[in-house]
Amino acid sequence: MKHRILIIEDDVVIQTQLRNLLTGNGYEAEAINDFPVSMEQVKTFCPHLILLDIKLPGNDGFSVCSQIRTFSDAPIIFVTSCNTDMDELNSIMLGGDAFVTKPYNTAILLAKIASLLKRAYPVANQESLSCHGVSLHLESGKIEYAGRQADLTKNELKILYYLFKHAGTICARADIVEYLWDNRLYVDDNALSVNINRIRDKLSVIGVNDFVKTKHRQGYII
Amino acid sequence: MNGKLWLKQKLPMIFFNFLCMIGLAIFLHVTGNSLDSIIFISFIWSVILTVHLVISFYGRKVQMDKLLNLTEQLEERYLLPEVMEKPKRADDLVYYRLLKLAGKSMLEQVAKVRRERTEYKEYVEQWVHEIKTPITAMKLLCENHHSQGAKELLVELEKINCFTEQALYYARSEHTEKDYSVREIPLFDVVHQAIGENKYLLLQNGIGIDLQETDDTVYADEKWLCFILNQLIVNSVKYRTKHPVLKFYTEHQGSQVILCVQDNGIGIQTGDLPRIFEKGFTGENGRRAAQNSTGIGLYLCKRLCDKLGIGICADSDGSGTVIRLIFHINDFIQRSL
Repeated sequence: MKHRILIIEDDVVIQTQLRNLLTGNGYEAEAINDFPVSMEQVKTFCPHLILLDIKLPGNDGFSVCSQIRTFSDAPIIFVTSCNTDMDELNSIMLGGDAFVTKPYNTAILLAKIASLLKRAYPVANQESLSCHGVSLHLESGKIEYAGRQADLTKNELKILYYLFKHAGTICARADIVEYLWDNRLYVDDNALSVNINRIRDKLSVIGVNDFVKTKHRQGYII
Repeated sequence: MNGKLWLKQKLPMIFFNFLCMIGLAIFLHVTGNSLDSIIFISFIWSVILTVHLVISFYGRKVQMDKLLNLTEQLEERYLLPEVMEKPKRADDLVYYRLLKLAGKSMLEQVAKVRRERTEYKEYVEQWVHEIKTPITAMKLLCENHHSQGAKELLVELEKINCFTEQALYYARSEHTEKDYSVREIPLFDVVHQAIGENKYLLLQNGIGIDLQETDDTVYADEKWLCFILNQLIVNSVKYRTKHPVLKFYTEHQGSQVILCVQDNGIGIQTGDLPRIFEKGFTGENGRRAAQNSTGIGLYLCKRLCDKLGIGICADSDGSGTVIRLIFHINDFIQRSL
């Protein structure tokens, strides 16, 4: 099931780009175009999560938030350029769940969205991913093929997770490094090669060869 | 009060008395008085004159010293005309009125400047918030269009963001009471945040990160601390050399936690070290290495650190710089929480 996210933001460029970003990451996103915000629109869309700007024409974000809270418990993320403590306090007092300041790191925004959705709408979480018979166990940090397992380090696990998520497409080295940085693993280009080699060694120990393929000058693919 | 100067000021009066004394002596002599009585009368006159001078000098001195003392004790000295006693002498009264008038006009002037300043500060803050909307839009545009060009643009955007933050914090650093909340925060969370905000800048410049993570917590304001770290990171990128590595680690010293930010860049000349936190100081590095040194970044860091009660010091051995942020872990705070 796709989660529906409502964007309440008056800047048209940010609105469309956010929508692209969210749709690209597997959400169903909709934006409100008429201000002041009417609650009917919010009710018809019935979002799972709301991204709310504070500075809006007509009613400001705070009052919109309290209006929404009268009929919905959907998580609300305040996205704003006002980063004073008062605004943050206000937003939390009025029932906001998170406060992200502009210009935001999209990775962090997506992570916040994911974690809020996970908490608000718990689903049986996927503990392992698999591709070509190789499965990756996220909880235990192991990789398995035909009953044989190998332990992975944090870096290796994250790299494999990224490759598994993008199975079948080429992952540029720079994108993998960026992904790792977003996950607080500050790996540079050389260290990435080292990690990839270690992954290949571990894979060959459990009997998989040529699983992570190098695309010359482009990146990796599984 | 200077006695000599006072005496000098009284000279015409003394001279006039002296003339009168001579006149009287001649008159007494002509009317046939004896020399003895003339000398006696002159002597008495001189004694009375001297006593008058001494008494009036000391009376005046006491009065003036009182005023000086009062001024010394006043915190805002320009308020003297409001608190001093209204003088009784005619000329003093004129000076008193002059003081009052001057003070009033100065207060008006100060109030005007202060008002203008607040307005300007508010404008800057508002401007920074406005500019963040287009920055965000550009950032999203770039991130949705993966290409080398977009990545280079993102680096520039991070720089723009850094400069606007600088403007914001500069405007805010004067009235900090309004906008900071000191809380217990995990130190390395803020480090991660600061690195995240400069991700593209660091990646494009091939800066290695060496993080010796601990779970130390400190009492500080998260946003401010993040801003300070941002400035330090940007500096390290600006003054990098080949194979740059940025290292974050902590040291413990008594009741202090010290966050060290170490780079292996061009370092700071020993002669420049004591002045790097001064406003507008760019030093040898500013002249040679980076043309875009402004001398604002570290000055702001120092200023914010002072407000937050964090110590900041720099060390350089010619190859690389270590900036230390010193946090005090107060036993009292920990016990009472």
